[in-house]
Amino acid sequence: MSDNPALAELEQRRAAALQMGGAEAVAKWHEKGRMTARERITAFVDAGSFHELGMLTGKGRYTADGHLVDFTPSSSIMGNGDVEGRTLMVVADDFTLRGGSSEGAVAEKWIYAERMALEFRMPLVRFVDSVGGSVKILEQAGRTKIPGYALWPSTALMGAVPVASVAFGACVGLGAVRAIGAHFSVMVKGQAQVFAAGPPVVKQGLGHDVDKEALGGHELCTRISGAILNAADTEQDALVQVRRFLSYLPTNAWQAPARVVSGDDPTRRTPALNTLVPDNPRRIYTARKIVEAVCDQDSLFELAPGFGTSLRTYLARLDGYAVGVMLGDPAVMGGALTRAAAQKMERFVDLCDSFHLPIVNLVDQPGAMIGLDAERAGTLLAAAKAGAAIEQASVPWVSIVIRRAFGLAGSMLGPWNGPNGTSLNHRFAWPSARWGSIPIEGGVAAAYKREIEAAPDPLARRAELEAYYHRLSSPFRTAEAFGVVDIIEPADTRALLCRWARDASRLTQTQLGPKRRTLR
Amino acid sequence: MSIERLPSPVTGLVWKCLATVGAHLNEGDTILLIESMKMEIPVEMPRAGVLKAILVQEEDAVAEGQPVAEIE
Repeated sequence: MSDNPALAELEQRRAAALQMGGAEAVAKWHEKGRMTARERITAFVDAGSFHELGMLTGKGRYTADGHLVDFTPSSSIMGNGDVEGRTLMVVADDFTLRGGSSEGAVAEKWIYAERMALEFRMPLVRFVDSVGGSVKILEQAGRTKIPGYALWPSTALMGAVPVASVAFGACVGLGAVRAIGAHFSVMVKGQAQVFAAGPPVVKQGLGHDVDKEALGGHELCTRISGAILNAADTEQDALVQVRRFLSYLPTNAWQAPARVVSGDDPTRRTPALNTLVPDNPRRIYTARKIVEAVCDQDSLFELAPGFGTSLRTYLARLDGYAVGVMLGDPAVMGGALTRAAAQKMERFVDLCDSFHLPIVNLVDQPGAMIGLDAERAGTLLAAAKAGAAIEQASVPWVSIVIRRAFGLAGSMLGPWNGPNGTSLNHRFAWPSARWGSIPIEGGVAAAYKREIEAAPDPLARRAELEAYYHRLSSPFRTAEAFGVVDIIEPADTRALLCRWARDASRLTQTQLGPKRRTLR
Repeated sequence: MSIERLPSPVTGLVWKCLATVGAHLNEGDTILLIESMKMEIPVEMPRAGVLKAILVQEEDAVAEGQPVAEIE
């Protein structure tokens, strides 16, 4: 303890801040298998790199004549730290204090972290673990306030720097918004829930009993609503995922992503792909084998693996260059573009465009999902919005039709003109590719209905007509007219994409700066 | 051992039943094929077990998530 009273008080207050909610509250927290906010930060950033700011924010208790009795820190801890040597802002909710209630957090402090991320153009990471507003705080303030925070730059931030969030526990109301409003979000299975209001408020408002895990657990958030992209088995896993996500992105929209060369030969041939797509056009195949074969070894990181799964979205590397990869998965809904897949696509395209990640689109697309459920879900509206996101993207883009490209969804290979009017819609195909406005079988049955019915052997006549049209739909005929740039041997896919990635990266160097794609 | 109901992965039509009720099947074996969006989508055994029942017939319309088989 210092002799100087002011320094002594500083030490006292800082020591109290490090205690968070106190030894008992911390012990209870550990018993539940949770890390404290400070432990999470320490585990996340490079060793020793956390520089805390706002440590003295909180509430002091004083004697009648104004001497400090004790100090309770705010339930939000923030500062800057490094991840793989790159500085970012991190803000963590401390649940050991009043359940991390957002109004005990001293809003100016966590908002300052976000303002600082925007001003200094560095990523923001939020560790969310808070139960939202509390009426007890209202009693202390002696008045209500209109909800909202004038200084919180949540929207602008998403167009400027990577924003990542981890839902460690209950994320309610404002906490839910802070978890969801990110480029990458991950929630810890079994302990995190994200919802507008929890079971007690739902009971009050609707009279319904609902379990909190059912209302906003990972099953709902990462598989049904897509509000949260990824799920993690443990808190540590969640932190690893955030670090992984950040490794593909630049520090801000004014910079290009870093190249990380792995030594995987960019000319490596992938002969197994020559026999991946079955001859029988009705049979499915394991689409993931394509991205595993063509991308740099161990470079795949899947976003939203549980949501809209007829489309797969990955961050990956090609010859060390960071790219975004979209992949149609015929094993899910036949590969059809569902409402969820379209929403996933829109969000992914915006992310890649914002941060200069060239996009590879591996297409196997039968069209937008059809039928009553699909129409009620507003599938075409979601598809149109995804199409708009594609058309607004200026980031370099290449597509390869693996198998099918039909209908509206099949037309969404890449930007046809792009925001500058100069996009190439650079497109290739495998020999297994087939495309058109409508499938042959349906088209023949409709256009030749009378002729088929009048024929001596209708089935044979229909088969004859279908075979004729199938020959017309050979992709080589399209290539004759330069309808695609080239048809390639599947084994050469990696070499083609790595070469393109080098050119694409050079192009992105001339496109740096914000595209202003925030959360739509 | 408990009965597990397997859902259809897709909205479509039951195209072909490939396994027989009572058979011991391995993980990954195809029980039946659903046709949807012009593709044959398999309903597979999530692990080795006995096929206790097939809940649909060929040419039945099925919705995504609708139980189509029971295994033990």
